[in-house]
Amino acid sequence: MIAAFRAEWVPLLRPRFLLGTLGAVVACALLGTVLTFFSVGHRDFDGDPVTAAALSRPDGLLQGVQAVSILLGVVALSVVAASLAGDHSHGTLRNQLVARPHRARLLAGKLLALAAFVVLIVAAATAVSVGLSFLLAPTRGVSTAAWSSGAGLVELGTGFVNLCLGSLGYAAIGALAAILLRGPAAAIAVALAYALPVEMLIARIYRPARSWLPVQLMQEIATGGAADPMPYADALLRGVVYAGVMVLLALMVFRRRDMTA
Amino acid sequence: MTSGSATDPAHANHDPAHGTAASPTVMDGTAGLARADTAIWTRGLTKRYGARRAVDHLDLQVPRGALSGFVGPNGAGKSTTLRMLLGLIRPSAGHGHVLGEPITEPDRYLHRVGAMIEGPTFHPGLSGRRNLDQLAILRGIGGWQRALRQRRVEEVLGQVGLGERADDRFSTYSLGMKQRLGIAAALLPDPCLLILDEPTNGLDPAGIREIRALLGQLAGGGMTVFVSSHLLTEVEQICDHLVMINGGRMLFQGHVTDLLAAEDPRIVMIPEHDADARRLAGLLGDEGLRVEIDLRNGPPDASATRGRRPVVTAHAPEGLAAHLNRLAMRAGITLRSLRTHRPNLEETFLRVTGEIDGDLVRTAQAGQEPDGSVPPPVGAGLDPAHSRGGAT
Repeated sequence: MIAAFRAEWVPLLRPRFLLGTLGAVVACALLGTVLTFFSVGHRDFDGDPVTAAALSRPDGLLQGVQAVSILLGVVALSVVAASLAGDHSHGTLRNQLVARPHRARLLAGKLLALAAFVVLIVAAATAVSVGLSFLLAPTRGVSTAAWSSGAGLVELGTGFVNLCLGSLGYAAIGALAAILLRGPAAAIAVALAYALPVEMLIARIYRPARSWLPVQLMQEIATGGAADPMPYADALLRGVVYAGVMVLLALMVFRRRDMTA
Repeated sequence: MTSGSATDPAHANHDPAHGTAASPTVMDGTAGLARADTAIWTRGLTKRYGARRAVDHLDLQVPRGALSGFVGPNGAGKSTTLRMLLGLIRPSAGHGHVLGEPITEPDRYLHRVGAMIEGPTFHPGLSGRRNLDQLAILRGIGGWQRALRQRRVEEVLGQVGLGERADDRFSTYSLGMKQRLGIAAALLPDPCLLILDEPTNGLDPAGIREIRALLGQLAGGGMTVFVSSHLLTEVEQICDHLVMINGGRMLFQGHVTDLLAAEDPRIVMIPEHDADARRLAGLLGDEGLRVEIDLRNGPPDASATRGRRPVVTAHAPEGLAAHLNRLAMRAGITLRSLRTHRPNLEETFLRVTGEIDGDLVRTAQAGQEPDGSVPPPVGAGLDPAHSRGGAT
């Protein structure tokens, strides 16, 4: 598994892919942060007022990046789906399975590397958002004192972990789609179609479903349980179970299926 | 080198229409011994996709240290067989061993196997070197020591002559370079068994010669090489052992020379005067030889060019060539050309797999000339490039 983990970093760290992915998440972070600070005095997407006082709280530092947590999730899903399904479509998985025939260990190593990569890109987005928040705060009358306090640092750490967990949940959906569909385009399209319009429509039509739909739960986790009355702990537990089941299903399919690509 | 099979080459000449295989008769009692002596050994290996059998009760036996060719038409089941040997797909029935380990446990033998199947497949965005680096890490080559790993990558790149372009992206490689990289990847683990699927695809003649030399060198060093190819001339030149399948079933396995020795030798004659063709055929027939006249090669009408002439083919060994020449001379028939011909692997392959109407029986049934003569197999004895015997 360690060999598979190390080997997976070779394609992940190729400059074009790495810079492209980082560019995408940094752009998302910039967008979310700028829009959040420019929303002061207005209402957000859900109709709640955005105030300088709210942003001045210890958890205000991550409001910008949390606003685009769904986009970070989409990037995580796409990266994982493209990477795993790309191995199928390029035929490179054949070589890898001959080199490392223990399938469960191979996939586990790859998933671990991809999870670390997702954490890396979320960290990059968070760092950019935090830096920009400090720059924009004075222009919108937001105090940064609480951000640098002990409570602020705890909120920063907790918020970062939540963003990572939420993005990893999206990544699990991408992994399952990639293993089942075996083509990057199909895997990304189907996974995103499910994650965005399908679940959103269901959740809008039947609001209690938000407590059970996987992507809605990932969103709850990413934002620290701010968007829904459901307790964060419940969302976390259900989200982890969903992600675990998806990874387990992917492993089972990967182990048993004939490699005809 | 032992063939590892009790194949009677004569049995290779079976009727492909009935799908009866001339597979080697290996006694059950010797199976254990065969496994020890062979790099690849299967019994009843079968892969079904629904009702279709891609591989049908295949009994493979590839001797250790052999340079073995694996041939068959498109869709014969070669790649499916190779995938089963590499643990990529599960057999529907049967069993097998690779390097003495069961194919159901590929992690017990694949560290000693190098393979390239269905073409070279690498990450297009990575350089050749980085692609090999990834596979080397996966195989645990050099452990955590990057220098050892890089040295091995460098070695295999040098072996296939790809050192200068190793840092270019795979997507910029020509087909020949991709093939070389695929072979380099297969060589990475310094394998005991090398399985290559069409390794010379896309290579120029010089490249083919280099790969041929490389494979010979590897086999000479004790490595078992199992290579599937459509280039039968290549297989004939480099392989000492051959496995031929069609429709998922075994047609022949054993020494290439055994297969070719069992083929029907011919003496091909072209009389100076077209009118002598029938007389010559009669003379040869009186000698007890099976004779065919290809009158189709004569000019279709009087106004046509006279570049093509009737060909008389006698089914006889090379040793009779001088005798037949004397016989014709005594009868006042001057021969414009006389040459011996023994079918090469390509002709044998096409006849056995039924890909062309090279089967004499089938030709006789389907294509008799109006005068009752039987046209010889397509190309047989007509193309000097296919002639293995000397001309007199």
